[in-house]
Amino acid sequence: MAYAGSAVHIGCAFSIIEILATLHKRYLRYPENNPNAEARDYLVLSKGHGVMAQYACMVDRGWLSESDLEHYFSDGSILKGLSDSRVDGLEATSGSLGHGLSVGVGLSLAAKLKRTGQKTFVIVGDGEINEGPIWEGLLFAHHHRLKDLMVIVDENGFQAMGTTREVMNMESIGSKFDSFGFDTREVNGHDESDINQSIRNLFSLSSENPKALIAKTVKGKGVPFMEHDNSWHYTRLNSQTYRNALDALKTTTP
Amino acid sequence: MRSALSETLVELASRDERILLLTGDHGYSLFDDFRRMCPSQYINAGVAEQNMVGVASGLARAGFRPIVYGLSAFIPIRVLEQIKLDIAHDDLPVIFIGDGAGFVYSHLGTSHQSTEDIACARSIPNLNVFSPADAQETRRCFSIAYQLSKPVYIRVGKADLGTVHSKPITAELGDLITLKPGKSGNLALLATGSMVSTAQQLCESEFPRASLYTAPFIKPINDEQLIGICRTSSAVITLEEHSIFGGFGSVVAEIASAYAPTRIFRIGVADRFSEYCGSYGYLLKEHGLDFESVKKRISSFIDSSI
Repeated sequence: MAYAGSAVHIGCAFSIIEILATLHKRYLRYPENNPNAEARDYLVLSKGHGVMAQYACMVDRGWLSESDLEHYFSDGSILKGLSDSRVDGLEATSGSLGHGLSVGVGLSLAAKLKRTGQKTFVIVGDGEINEGPIWEGLLFAHHHRLKDLMVIVDENGFQAMGTTREVMNMESIGSKFDSFGFDTREVNGHDESDINQSIRNLFSLSSENPKALIAKTVKGKGVPFMEHDNSWHYTRLNSQTYRNALDALKTTTP
Repeated sequence: MRSALSETLVELASRDERILLLTGDHGYSLFDDFRRMCPSQYINAGVAEQNMVGVASGLARAGFRPIVYGLSAFIPIRVLEQIKLDIAHDDLPVIFIGDGAGFVYSHLGTSHQSTEDIACARSIPNLNVFSPADAQETRRCFSIAYQLSKPVYIRVGKADLGTVHSKPITAELGDLITLKPGKSGNLALLATGSMVSTAQQLCESEFPRASLYTAPFIKPINDEQLIGICRTSSAVITLEEHSIFGGFGSVVAEIASAYAPTRIFRIGVADRFSEYCGSYGYLLKEHGLDFESVKKRISSFIDSSI
């Protein structure tokens, strides 16, 4: 998909693939596998830059075809380079950062008002949380005791122009969420069993607090020459790097 | 007009439990009745307007009908991107109320004054823009906005300028309302919001042969009706408490220039911020929008066109 479309934001997609896989396999309920089912759980990809990872999951669910993916990023494709709410399976338009959390908070509030028990998962980036509305959304979520809301922070340590430490040092993200009243866990964001166990533990708590999962991840995970190399935020694949990446994935993916 | 706003909100919410009123910690006594009558449908989202609009988006996606209230300096201006991406892009049924538009907060300065909101709002696809002048127009605007079930921005300006319509009105979406038919070949005054009452006084005392229209709907607007007015008038004067760039006057000029080229004189706020503090009347005068200034400006425009 990234090679066919000559697309950017490859590293940002690799950092959330295990998180998305775990959510799709174990948590997200879509009655009759319908991405628009009224009673569905909500997945909001607030860091819309990782949208390729979600497209891959949508192919697995049968919502997209392989051929859709081949046309990603191309003339006439509905699959844009960033999350777009007009695509079934994407709940919010993102890319301008700091929007998706508030939309997710609204969805979660709606579920609470209707007493449906629907869960809402919002994935935000550690660069994205520089944005002010994120912190407005956290305040609101705790004030309204949205216990079925989970914010997942993809802490890959990079943002567009450098490391988060260099650009806007967030220090301990977990303690910030703690102080905003969230029940918080840190996990290895590439270990599906760790992710699964932590989500289960958080939702088994009896508190009314919203939940936060701080996922320590590696930007470009799975392709050694992309890992920790921020140039893959913007670099496109050529035929050589594409082949190298595929070879690397075959050896690193179980 | 404010009691009409309060009554309308209570009426709508009592009839439809999907309606939720969100405010960014503004409104004060305006919502007393609403909070008493529909307490579970009232959400004070705090001093956090960007989040409030995102929350409204989520609520609307899940079947609610949010009404988002703020001062027009904040709703829509501060949250323009949230309105664009989170609401308008998906044509969600959210009503935005921008209160205190124009120079209502005359003593407070630029942060609370709003003369660019129509221009910004009407360039967002799918977003409808209404601008009622009195209690009856307010009721009609809300009724249409609710039935429309799409994103609507309702601009509420100076609210105590008296009555424009003595009876409930039945204008359809986009219609201008004739307040005084004029004779063909004469001046037409087209006003919106707070400037309608000034236009009425001008017609009565200064321009008795002019026709007079009020425009509660800025977008969409009834093109055919507007073209008809432009074709049969010697010149058109537009009046609004908003920038002359991109507001109601621009709407009229854009349509007329293509289909019925006419001399159009746009009375509104020039390309400047308020310099001074003062009463509402004082600020209007500073910007040349009080009765006497407007009278002079129209007269010199007419003289110059001969």
